[in-house]
Amino acid sequence: MTKYTLTNGKTVTKPFNKIWIIVGSVVLLLFLFSRLIPYDASFIKLGELRIIIVKLFTPKGNRTWNDYFSYIFTSLIEPLKETLNMSFAGTLLGSLMAVPLAVLSAKNIVKLPIIYIPARTIMNLFRTIPAMILALIAVFFVGTGILSGIIAITLFTFGIMSKMLYEVIETIDMSPVEALESTGAKKVESLRYAVMPQVLPVFISYLIYIFEINVRSSTILGYVGAGGIGTVIKDNILYNYDRVGASIILMFVVILVVQLISSLVRSKLQ
Amino acid sequence: MNRAEEALKRKPKRWVMNLIFFVAMIVAIVFSFSGSKINWSRFRSIGHSLRVMLAGFADLQWDFFFGTGIFQFKEGVVYLTLVTLAIAFIGTFIGAVLAIPFGFLASQNIVGKHVARIGEAILVIIRVFPEIILALILVKGFGMNALTGVLTIGLHSIGMLGKLFAEAIDNMDKSPLEALDAVGANIWQKIRYGVIPQVAADISSITLYRLDINVRSATVLGIIGAGGLGASLILAAESWSWNILGTILLAIVVMVLVVDVISSYLRGKLV
Repeated sequence: MTKYTLTNGKTVTKPFNKIWIIVGSVVLLLFLFSRLIPYDASFIKLGELRIIIVKLFTPKGNRTWNDYFSYIFTSLIEPLKETLNMSFAGTLLGSLMAVPLAVLSAKNIVKLPIIYIPARTIMNLFRTIPAMILALIAVFFVGTGILSGIIAITLFTFGIMSKMLYEVIETIDMSPVEALESTGAKKVESLRYAVMPQVLPVFISYLIYIFEINVRSSTILGYVGAGGIGTVIKDNILYNYDRVGASIILMFVVILVVQLISSLVRSKLQ
Repeated sequence: MNRAEEALKRKPKRWVMNLIFFVAMIVAIVFSFSGSKINWSRFRSIGHSLRVMLAGFADLQWDFFFGTGIFQFKEGVVYLTLVTLAIAFIGTFIGAVLAIPFGFLASQNIVGKHVARIGEAILVIIRVFPEIILALILVKGFGMNALTGVLTIGLHSIGMLGKLFAEAIDNMDKSPLEALDAVGANIWQKIRYGVIPQVAADISSITLYRLDINVRSATVLGIIGAGGLGASLILAAESWSWNILGTILLAIVVMVLVVDVISSYLRGKLV
């Protein structure tokens, strides 16, 4: 430790900077974890990378550019509808299911640990399982297709929305609730007239945000059999790279549009 | 009639709009379901499926979990979980390091309004490009191994991290910079003593949050061969081996919860 003598004769010690503990542990973790990642220069085939990108974004064999783009507007419209449908239905159903759980998890509304602790446990259980695995399980139960996608997205949304919503409910202004309760309002009435008006705009903003996440993740859900664009990508990944490329372009544009609308609406809501 | 009742009568009748809204929502949901070819006959066997699943979950494969017995340690779930964590951790680290210049590039405070627009546009493009597709492309160049997972997560994370870093830099208090200017600090001294102390906590907190997300995606990316748990997961799922799937799922839930708890604890300390 460095000691400084000031002009008035006092000595001060420069305190040990805790940043070095953090930097040290990050470096240590990086070192330990990097031993688990196999690395060999022979893995890297940048030429292959170039070839695959060319194959994705140019028409295959004797197909024309016209064919490449018309595929988007003919064969991909139906899967796109499926993708958007399942994201929409899943987001809406999951969010509605999340409302009671979020209320039950909020400490300031339900003051009993016997209720809010189990509620939070259920919530965390759903939240930890990636949507893709939920889709895998749903495929086992209801077969491949959009329904398993809807179930997966519903459950995923249920987990994430209840978590986000209960955090909002816990930070609301409690004075309207107290005012209503002092006039003799029932619990349901105070929820409707004191809690809901405060939470609703945030809820809608989250709903749009989660819809955006779900459209993005529905690409991978299709990959395990849950329908939509992901299924098209999986079916064509071995032989028809140009079809995959066309699907990527379409997905990219759709997600971009959804994202733009979503941030526009959300900025209006706040 | 007293004035309170009059006021109540004059209250706008919102229920019509609400009813229309709810009917529209229900129609939309029903429409979403109707377009799909749903195999309703599968519903009859749900009870059976559930029994099969729960029986599998009750019979977890501990040898497979720890990589003992007939399994090599490197085939075990514990090892694969560590690999998954490694992919997420190193990927997030790479992403965070790469996101810092992007964050500066997209921050109006540092580069001005017009350049920041370009920076933001680049970040939107990175963010919007689906992670799984990025992994599908990178697998060709870097092979079916954990390296692909690290690179995918690193590159994809730039999008969100860069945006949030830029916001953190924009929200920064400018007076320390002016003070440093006043004492004649150069640009590096300004960054070291004016910018870093203000944004370090935010940037670490954002990165920890992203680590949380990346642990989940590292699991998922494995299904297309980007290393970690995913490959075993998809193999088990394709043969519906619920005992193996349950074993892997247990590891995922524990891993995600542990990372979640550590990350929110550390974030709580930072703010």
